[in-house]
Amino acid sequence: MSWRVLRLEGVGKDFTRADGGVAEVLRDVTLTVERGAFFTLLGPSGCGKSTLLNIVAGFEGATTGGASLDDRPVAGPGTDRTVIFQDVSNALFPWMNARENVEFGPKMARLGAVERNERAEKYLRLVGLDADGGKFPFELSGGMKQRIQIARALANDPDILLMDEPFAALDAITKKHLQVEFRKIWSETGKTIFYITHDIFEALLLSTHLAVMTAGPKAGIKEVFQLDLEEPRSPSNPDFAAMYSRVETLIDEEVQRMRAR
Amino acid sequence: MVFWRTLSVAGALSLWWLSSGTLFNPILVPAPHKVAVHLWEMTADGEILFHAWASLRRVIVGYALGSVLGILTGVAVARIRIAEDMLEPPLQFVRNITPVAIIPLAVNAFGLEEPSKYFVIIYSTIIPVVFNTAAGVASTPQIRVRAAMCLGAGRWDIFVRVVLPSAWPFILTGLRVALGFAFMGVVAAEMIAAESGVGYLIMQSRNMLLPEQMFSGLFLLGLIGLVTDRAFQFTIGRLMRRYMLQTAAFD
Repeated sequence: MSWRVLRLEGVGKDFTRADGGVAEVLRDVTLTVERGAFFTLLGPSGCGKSTLLNIVAGFEGATTGGASLDDRPVAGPGTDRTVIFQDVSNALFPWMNARENVEFGPKMARLGAVERNERAEKYLRLVGLDADGGKFPFELSGGMKQRIQIARALANDPDILLMDEPFAALDAITKKHLQVEFRKIWSETGKTIFYITHDIFEALLLSTHLAVMTAGPKAGIKEVFQLDLEEPRSPSNPDFAAMYSRVETLIDEEVQRMRAR
Repeated sequence: MVFWRTLSVAGALSLWWLSSGTLFNPILVPAPHKVAVHLWEMTADGEILFHAWASLRRVIVGYALGSVLGILTGVAVARIRIAEDMLEPPLQFVRNITPVAIIPLAVNAFGLEEPSKYFVIIYSTIIPVVFNTAAGVASTPQIRVRAAMCLGAGRWDIFVRVVLPSAWPFILTGLRVALGFAFMGVVAAEMIAAESGVGYLIMQSRNMLLPEQMFSGLFLLGLIGLVTDRAFQFTIGRLMRRYMLQTAAFD
């Protein structure tokens, strides 16, 4: 499906609390994500980032406003948007080996065995696990499992990858490698990425666009940046460092605002 | 350790041997070697096989029906709101009634022949299978279902390829527990109303003062239970291994 922009317009989301009251999580969120962008949503934890991603994924409906691809509103989950979850052990199918996991989407698209296999091999190679297709998730490390999840998503050829803190649960070294590799994968495949994180460093390392959220409840967008940072990106580059402290200040403001409540 | 295992068996047999004739009347509680001789005679003349097969046949029929009904009911309870509302209250009530207590009712309702035995076994089987299946289906990780939705799976594919496989470890646990319950049910039913089966064998030996036969029956029960449970485990290990992997995957 061809489209130009993912739009979030006036998105608000209320939840009914356990005590019967209403929690306003999101209030009037408006964003535009251009096709091909690596768009990152950064915010303090608990600000409703995941809720926003779930609305784009079509898992949850918005209370007000909504998401749309061009002028087609998101009405539910679809193969044009694939989510990469942080909790990879539950996201993968543990009774399928790596290859079978990657083949799941093509299988649902009713592709033949030969084509399914080709796709699986192609994307396992892309994430560097072509030798591990026969292994089951429990035999793989957290980082390898996350690579499988990325391969599984790409094998389905979605327009957008929706990534919910995909590397947050990994150890520092694995995380660093995966970040660098994933940015390469992004530039090679040209997929649009909608990425969620609370890690400023990660956001600056990966993104072309960065939206900083305000603290919840009634969270919204505080500021949006286009990141034209010097490549290769590195924390020792002056523009990277300057941007880092600028974003950090914004986040600190929000955390303090949240504490003051 | 083979040594300790052997010692344990030898110790138990020795205690039995010593207590017969001292602590217990040797006519009512015969020594192990007498039981062994009797067991051998019953095996040679085919009596053991006759009763063992009678019980086993009942269990096969009742357990198969109870398992299928249990899985279907469990899935319905977990997935269909109306089924949950309608089935949960009676199931929660009935699960407290032990299968043994249901036997007189089974005989009244289904007579002295095979159907009453099947009923008792189905009843014994169905309760653990229903509750385990429902728990398994309900505990499928939400994000796994969501992942499948993103990958293009429809409702049927999600059920067959995601929910059911996620529930298999629970369902199999229920089936294994139910297998034990099925034997308990059939033996109890045979003790009260039957002309054959291991339960009948034991009860008859009490009524006719044949303690060697009673012990032979008890030994047979232990043996059948052990063999069927091992066979169950072996079959699961062969056919369902990949579904059991997920228990190791919750890291």
